[in-house]
Amino acid sequence: MPSASDTVSTTDRRSRGSVALKAVGLLVLAAAVLSFPSVAANPFILSVGVVIMSYAVLATSWNFVGGFTGYISLGHAAYSGLGGYATGLLVIHTGVNPWLGMLLAGLAVAVLAVPIGIASLRVRGASFVIVSIALVLILLLVFQSWGSFTGGSNGLRVPRPFGPEVLRPEQHERFFYLHAALLAVALLTWWLIDRSRFGMGLKAIREDEDKAQALGVPTFTYKLIAFVVSAFFTALGGGLYALWFGFLDPIFQFSILVGSYMVLMSLLGGIRSLFGPFLGAVIVGYAVEYFKNQYGDTQFHLVAMGLLLGLVVLFMPDGIIPAATNLVDRFRPQKTSIREVTQAELAEQRRTAGPEAAQADQQARTDDGTDIPTSDSTVTEGARS
Amino acid sequence: MTATADAAPAQQTASLATVGLTKRFGGVTAVDGASVTFHHGKVNALIGPNGSGKTTFFNCVTGMIKPDEGTVSYRGADITGKAPHRIARAGVGRSFQLCRVFPRMTVMENMLVAVRSTSLRRQLASARDAEELDRARGLLARVGIEHLEHSLARDISYGQQKLLELAGVLMADPETIMLDEPAGGVNPALIDRIANLVRSLNAEGKTFIVVEHNMELVMGLSDHVVVFDRGRPICEGTPTVVQSDPRVLEAYLGI
Repeated sequence: MPSASDTVSTTDRRSRGSVALKAVGLLVLAAAVLSFPSVAANPFILSVGVVIMSYAVLATSWNFVGGFTGYISLGHAAYSGLGGYATGLLVIHTGVNPWLGMLLAGLAVAVLAVPIGIASLRVRGASFVIVSIALVLILLLVFQSWGSFTGGSNGLRVPRPFGPEVLRPEQHERFFYLHAALLAVALLTWWLIDRSRFGMGLKAIREDEDKAQALGVPTFTYKLIAFVVSAFFTALGGGLYALWFGFLDPIFQFSILVGSYMVLMSLLGGIRSLFGPFLGAVIVGYAVEYFKNQYGDTQFHLVAMGLLLGLVVLFMPDGIIPAATNLVDRFRPQKTSIREVTQAELAEQRRTAGPEAAQADQQARTDDGTDIPTSDSTVTEGARS
Repeated sequence: MTATADAAPAQQTASLATVGLTKRFGGVTAVDGASVTFHHGKVNALIGPNGSGKTTFFNCVTGMIKPDEGTVSYRGADITGKAPHRIARAGVGRSFQLCRVFPRMTVMENMLVAVRSTSLRRQLASARDAEELDRARGLLARVGIEHLEHSLARDISYGQQKLLELAGVLMADPETIMLDEPAGGVNPALIDRIANLVRSLNAEGKTFIVVEHNMELVMGLSDHVVVFDRGRPICEGTPTVVQSDPRVLEAYLGI
């Protein structure tokens, strides 16, 4: 085909260019995140930064299930809450090193996610959403009622990992970097899965689960693995938050709202994009803090979030990152497509190219041995469709 | 059926075979004690009037639904009630009625979904390794849509989606391919193209089991035809034998 070599080289050029662009973007992003504590005007702004990074960790962790498999869990607060409480209780009762406690808590929640996943991943769509909510409500009741162990509605005070000589702004700064590091690990894991065969299978599940299974994808096992990885990172996020904030209350830990934020952030940024949940967390996290700050203890921030969710679903169902990418693509040179060459144009090209080209074309077909349809039939098909 | 037509299939190697397969939905018996043998290395066809239980049979055999009674075997091994992905990896690929592709994945990504081995290292490796990409491009070229590699599957025409679905199934390298109405809703030129693909793949040793309404296609393509009516086979044999069988005429025309 006359345009084949051109197509390949443009694709290569474009992908090389986009790799360079991505590397630069990544460096800028990393620099922006790492310099935030030094440019933050005061400790309050810095603490907002920690909250946003915590949301970013949770949303990115949620996206292992939501983004890859399309199973929308509204109850991921169950895993962040359990991670936080497990970390706190381990530190209090066993005196274990807090960082080790956090890791152990993450592993324990991951183990617990196996039976939960086996039970809940049997149902799809709306039923899965309901099941995921049910778990949070059950945990809320348990942690409120079991006062002797969890502190009940009075809450649980979690010892701080850094001594009293580390002042509050310093605490915020350290925890900002710790959250950033955890976020980086979660993003790296997401990226590794995204490019793997395993990830391709998960994305196929999101598109059409039965079809994926008919192509040999062990769908249930894949979903379960993604679910457990997601619960593990969510629990680590919950544990790190508990160590920073130092106080856990069941009503906030096991709240539908926290789970909804994870979904909103991910949808807003784009669940099919690596950085989608992070971007969503920055926007939503900032908005929540802004509204809370401006309007105090009113429920106004909830109204605003509800409006935002409605707008996202209506106008940007794929999220900001895909919408922005499409916009950028529109100004780029168009992708090569079969529809750009009509039959008449092709006939003209053939005439000008002369008999040598036609012969070479014929030769290529014979060498291949398979019944590759000729260019004529391809174009005919393109014209017909 | 003549004695020779009876004797001939007995010498064939069985591909998929069912014994007494039954599936009920409430009071309706969609598949009613069906015992069918498809032949290895042949193009087998499953035909029958609407509602005769072909698709339910197809779904029982590929594991999408579990049969109530009876057994399914493939090349001698029992696969009754096994999960679809296990049956797929045992070597049976399938297409879907009305064609199903992964709409928001590119044509190439659609090709890379098929799982041939679940070894951990292979699953964690990049999906876009050079060998797989080459195989995928070869198969896309074979069905004639290699130029659409970067398009989203939802953006290509219905006929092209049908070709993509077939190419995607071939990526798993199945030895048996089950097609559910490959000619449904596509133009005559494309039907010819699909028929040619089936012939050339069959010549390379692939077994086909085709559920189809298009009689012309079935009769021109198949070595062995099974006719279904009311959930069970009423007649089987070569296209010529089946066409002249009074029971088939009765089932189709009600005479």
